[in-house]
Amino acid sequence: MQVTETLSEGLKRGFTVTVPAAEIESKRAARLKEVGASMRLPGFRPGKVPTSIVRQRHGAAVQGEVLEQTVNDATQSVLNERGLRPATQPKVDLVSGAEPDANGDLEFNIELEVLPEIAQPDLSDLSLTRLKATPNAETVDKALADIAKRQRSFEDIEETRPAVQGDVLMVDFLGKVEGVAFDGGTAEDVNVEIGGEGFIPGFAEQIEGMSPGDEKVITVTFPADYQATELAGKEATFDIKAKGLKRAIDPALDDELAKKIGFEGLEQVRELITKQVADEYEQLSRLRIKRELLDALALKTDFEAPQGMVEAEFAQIWARVESDRKAGQLDEEDVGKDEDTLRADYRKIAERRVKLGLLLAEIGRANQITVSQDEMMRAVRAEAMRYPGQEQAVFEFFGRNPQAAESLRGPIFENKVVDYVIELAKVEDKEVTPEELAEIPPADLS
Amino acid sequence: MTNVLAIRRKAERLSREAMYDIVRAPLITEKATALSEKNQVVFKVAIDATKPEIKVAVETLFGVKVLGVNTLVQKGKTKRFKGRPGQRSDIKKAFVQLAEGQSIDLTAKLG
Repeated sequence: MQVTETLSEGLKRGFTVTVPAAEIESKRAARLKEVGASMRLPGFRPGKVPTSIVRQRHGAAVQGEVLEQTVNDATQSVLNERGLRPATQPKVDLVSGAEPDANGDLEFNIELEVLPEIAQPDLSDLSLTRLKATPNAETVDKALADIAKRQRSFEDIEETRPAVQGDVLMVDFLGKVEGVAFDGGTAEDVNVEIGGEGFIPGFAEQIEGMSPGDEKVITVTFPADYQATELAGKEATFDIKAKGLKRAIDPALDDELAKKIGFEGLEQVRELITKQVADEYEQLSRLRIKRELLDALALKTDFEAPQGMVEAEFAQIWARVESDRKAGQLDEEDVGKDEDTLRADYRKIAERRVKLGLLLAEIGRANQITVSQDEMMRAVRAEAMRYPGQEQAVFEFFGRNPQAAESLRGPIFENKVVDYVIELAKVEDKEVTPEELAEIPPADLS
Repeated sequence: MTNVLAIRRKAERLSREAMYDIVRAPLITEKATALSEKNQVVFKVAIDATKPEIKVAVETLFGVKVLGVNTLVQKGKTKRFKGRPGQRSDIKKAFVQLAEGQSIDLTAKLG
């Protein structure tokens, strides 16, 4: 095998490889013998088919197989000999000797991009801020009040007076569209809060002022985005019969309420809510520090990104943008821009992503960060949990498709590397309000 | 008594179409490939083809010199299908001896 380097420019490498005909011929003969040994053909005892006939029948297939193998082997050995780490799948161009019955030397070109030399960034001089927020009493109280509201009870009002804002009117109604009663439009003893939400717009407003015993016909229009599509945008009439007036009572926030919803005491509910909120803040905080870290790392990516990888990443992003645009859901920021600016913007994002990905991978590699079997299993399980009732099917899917499981590995690895870097970096804790924490930092480039 | 001369004369007058009807297919078996060492080729031929006809047909169609032809008729087996006896067709095989240095490429299409 003869290898000549034809191109070495930036990250691009090109080679011309020549494999002598004799080498290919011997491989082909060996392969034909192998095929013949197990071939069955009428008129011949199994395995006794002469080579000439095997070649006649399977020559082209074997030739293709041998060529592919030779090319792969040669490419691999070129990379190994030179210690190159390819960034993309090497592109192979057959020059000659590729025809099924060719007897000459096999000659082909390899073109590839190598991974750039990535210098280990000094991680200890990274300084990051970990934003922290503690759940305040207000948030917890608000959550508690929400719970209480859902548990409220109704108390009858004895006197007969027109319903006013804040009252609850118990009504029977019969809904009709174009004079015909429709499904789900009829109910009895429904509690409607005057001025409240949850009904068709106009419904609660129009029954304001009705006294128990009154009857009234109201006309409302279903909103255009009503969930029952056959009703959306239509005008409907409701025959309303008011039956009773009630007052909503919010239960007091006490142990009684806690017990009613299955807890031991109010303190326990409070604690649980506090913990939930704290977890939420924790996640946000992690998100923020990761973003900050990536921003900081992006400044340290002073190497060249392999164009092939950038292209691939860009193609992926662009496909999503295109489909978004077709669906008319383009980001507001992007609406005004013309195609060229958009492309340039997204290309920059793609380049940043590729560089960050490479840098993280390199940091992980240099520090022996790996994803263990255990962690993979956990990820698969977590993935399975997202499809309740079909866990088994998800497990099987991942068992059968190692590539799919591989796609889970990426994020785990990234997180582990990020954790590792955060540990090394100088991290400063900073107390902020929950609102500040939830603020999404500008320039979504990660 | 068979009139050998008449049969030979008839073979000389064979039309090209008739020749295609005589040589049906090459017989590719272990034995047949082994015979290629002796420069013999084996064909399935029409059951009523005569040796002189086969010789003329092979010489014309493949452009070779034939030294001699041996033939045999392989009787069809009696087979039963759904309990009914049936008869497979008989096959005539022709072993054709080519002149030295000549060969027939059995994979090539006939012109």
